[in-house]
Amino acid sequence: MAEVLQVDNRDWTGKRRVRRQRAAGRIPAVLYGHGQEVVHLSAATADLAAAVRHGSQVVDLAGAVKETALIKEIQWDTFGQEMLHVDLARVSADERVAVTVALELRGDAPGIKQGGVVDQPVHEIEIECPAAAVTASLEVNINSLELDQSITVGELELPQGASLLVDADMVVVQCSEPAPELDEEEGEPAPAEPEVIGAKKEEGEGEES
Amino acid sequence: MAQMPKRVKHRKCQRRRIKGNATRGNRVTFGDFGLQTTEGGWISAATIEAGRIAAQQYLRNEGQLYIRIFPHKPITSIPLETRMGKGKGEPDYWAAVVKPGTILYEIGGVTEEAARLCFARLAHKLPVRVRMARRRSA
Repeated sequence: MAEVLQVDNRDWTGKRRVRRQRAAGRIPAVLYGHGQEVVHLSAATADLAAAVRHGSQVVDLAGAVKETALIKEIQWDTFGQEMLHVDLARVSADERVAVTVALELRGDAPGIKQGGVVDQPVHEIEIECPAAAVTASLEVNINSLELDQSITVGELELPQGASLLVDADMVVVQCSEPAPELDEEEGEPAPAEPEVIGAKKEEGEGEES
Repeated sequence: MAQMPKRVKHRKCQRRRIKGNATRGNRVTFGDFGLQTTEGGWISAATIEAGRIAAQQYLRNEGQLYIRIFPHKPITSIPLETRMGKGKGEPDYWAAVVKPGTILYEIGGVTEEAARLCFARLAHKLPVRVRMARRRSA
């Protein structure tokens, strides 16, 4: 059951009016897709923030329009704290959509007790699934992750009817020994200044053609 | 050891102004939590290294620390008790130019509470005000 989002029609555009509306607690949104006309909407900041916090990607719009929509893109401010604008794409429940799903680690890896460090190089993957089956995140169980072992995308449990849009051999999480800390005294001493590209070398420094 | 570029086109550069907010490097990308600056400034290579040491001493081989900034800018200075003039000084140190919103460090593989305590230690080393940012899926 998708989250319900109350929306109003929006006749205000332009940065000054949009800024005033944002200050008053409304976020501009746009609804498009399925070859139908583009509709300018607005939603309450608190409602939209709640939907995002709950990880909803598909929402049921209520109020000015009554449709199901996929949250296609959210624009954030520089600090990633406040939403600026939302793109909504029309979808039907049986339509297959491509979505980005977050990966959440669950459990404790036994490899950590063996001196390893759990590294997660991939934090989200793209999948294709029916709009009704879109999920906020996929859980990755690492309870059996030993030292020098890894879990790939192909080993993940996907929602029913979902297929991967990324390489199945991609490593999601691995447990490996921590990289040794570099000692300052080891290796060659660093030069005092970097090499200047195109600078003429002084005499006696070696000849180059 | 403090970082600096391996090769540069020019030994010295002009100071320039820091204008606007960060539009790149302002999202947590590699780890789970990030240290985000709320003001602009120069962060010297020695400061970046001091922050790294402070964080890694706290983490003690748990989790991963990522440094998201690099000191590309040569900062020059003139020696003490030198009369004015006689040209621009010699390169003194290297600094990273950061705009408000830039993620400076990231931590992965630790709890939120551990990351918060680690960043609190690290923030003492920095010349800019910072806040903790969290990873958010696209």
